[in-house]
Amino acid sequence: MAQEVENFFGVYMLYCLNPKFKGRIYIGFTVDPERRLRQHNAGRHKGGAKRTSGRGPWYAIAQLSTSTSTLVFEWAWQNPHSSRRLAHVCRRGRKESGLQFHWRVVSNMLRVAPWSRLPLTARWLKREYKVDFEPALRPPPHVSLAFGAVRAKKQRPVDTCEDREETCRCFLCNGPLMTWEKLRCVHASCGMRSHVICLAKRFLRPEPSHLLPVGGRCPACHRDVLWGNLIRVKQGCAGDA
Amino acid sequence: SAVFVTDNLNMLPKYIGKHFHMHIISPPRNKKHRTLVPITPMPHYSDMDTPELKNKLDRFGVRALPKRQMILKLKEIHQYTHQLVNSDSEDEAPCVGPVAQTEAVHSKSGEEEDVEPPSNSQDSNASTATSSEESERHNPELCLSSGGDSDSDGGISASQAATRLEDRLQAVRSFILSDSSLYSQILQYQPLVLSQLQERLKAAGIRLGAAKLVNFLDSQCITFTTAKPGQAAPTRRRVRKTGKKAKAAGK
Repeated sequence: MAQEVENFFGVYMLYCLNPKFKGRIYIGFTVDPERRLRQHNAGRHKGGAKRTSGRGPWYAIAQLSTSTSTLVFEWAWQNPHSSRRLAHVCRRGRKESGLQFHWRVVSNMLRVAPWSRLPLTARWLKREYKVDFEPALRPPPHVSLAFGAVRAKKQRPVDTCEDREETCRCFLCNGPLMTWEKLRCVHASCGMRSHVICLAKRFLRPEPSHLLPVGGRCPACHRDVLWGNLIRVKQGCAGDA
Repeated sequence: SAVFVTDNLNMLPKYIGKHFHMHIISPPRNKKHRTLVPITPMPHYSDMDTPELKNKLDRFGVRALPKRQMILKLKEIHQYTHQLVNSDSEDEAPCVGPVAQTEAVHSKSGEEEDVEPPSNSQDSNASTATSSEESERHNPELCLSSGGDSDSDGGISASQAATRLEDRLQAVRSFILSDSSLYSQILQYQPLVLSQLQERLKAAGIRLGAAKLVNFLDSQCITFTTAKPGQAAPTRRRVRKTGKKAKAAGK
């Protein structure tokens, strides 16, 4: 059963099963992976990319998803040797398969700015194709690794079950909280509410040179939370990407 | 070169004359439109290994030095011993040459290739130049105009420039932190519109070129877009790109 994800932005990797072109890799971007794969396999006239048209069947094997725009991510993954952020990534080796190469590229991407602090999820849609991260290229700890199919889901109307505005005060500065600036702990049992900025500043204390937090400990329930998940919850999505 | 002579007999005397003129008398230089480029390209001293550098220096009777100094010395020797040719280029840096005759040698374009940029300036002129070459391939990383650098640091040293850049980046930082709606946008991963941010920084008196601003945003993992608000994204971009990639991957 496919896991449903709201507010989906993903860059995916297709693997060609056609014996003539077997092992070819295609990298693309989508907000709806199922529809996109259908298009690729149906051909150019159904909206599939020219490169993939007539060369199917294609198999969607992996994807990286986030809740923000990923076009530059897609471009860099497709063109690692033209990206100034990936100048250190060497070309594909003789013994390296296309799949291994592209995974090496994306492993590097997860470790450098401007992607290293983004709430990305790396997901193997087909476990049997999984390539492990090289030990030296492990992603930062906030990048989660997932398995299995996903389905993009329409987002629920925001804030249907919102708590009463007036009674809400920031856990950190005790100031009044407006909806647009309010963050709540991802754990339903925890009542922590705070200003987006207050919590960000708290999370950034250990790394004052940064502006974007990666995660931290909830000041109320003391459990570790990822910034990306807090923002997803704020935007009315389920906590996990 | 025989072909060159027969085909271009008319041009030849003029061509040679130019060199001699250049070499013997140093003419009053036209500050606006002339830059000198070496005829013989300089070997890539920076990439050479220490023994090779030692050998090269030995030929000029110079003893072995620390590697970096050897590279600099070889470059200096090269500049003293090689002819230059006029090329049209828009600007010329202030001369730093020790002798009047070789003054011209130390023109900007000569140095740009030779001297390694200081490590802290990832956004030196050199990298902007390569950037604009690449942009023909619709590199979204580079779609900012290369002329966007408004901060000309004329006539100051590299370390001064670095300090100044550091101050400006600090100012950008403070600007972002002081604007709660802008900062919340960043914290929620909503892409900033680069041109708008630039405008606002300008209005706040913070002058920072587009390339440097982009580097800063990148280093902070702040997502931005170079699209103009309300303008459609460049169409059919992905089809061409991925085409190339798939081809490459298929080999």
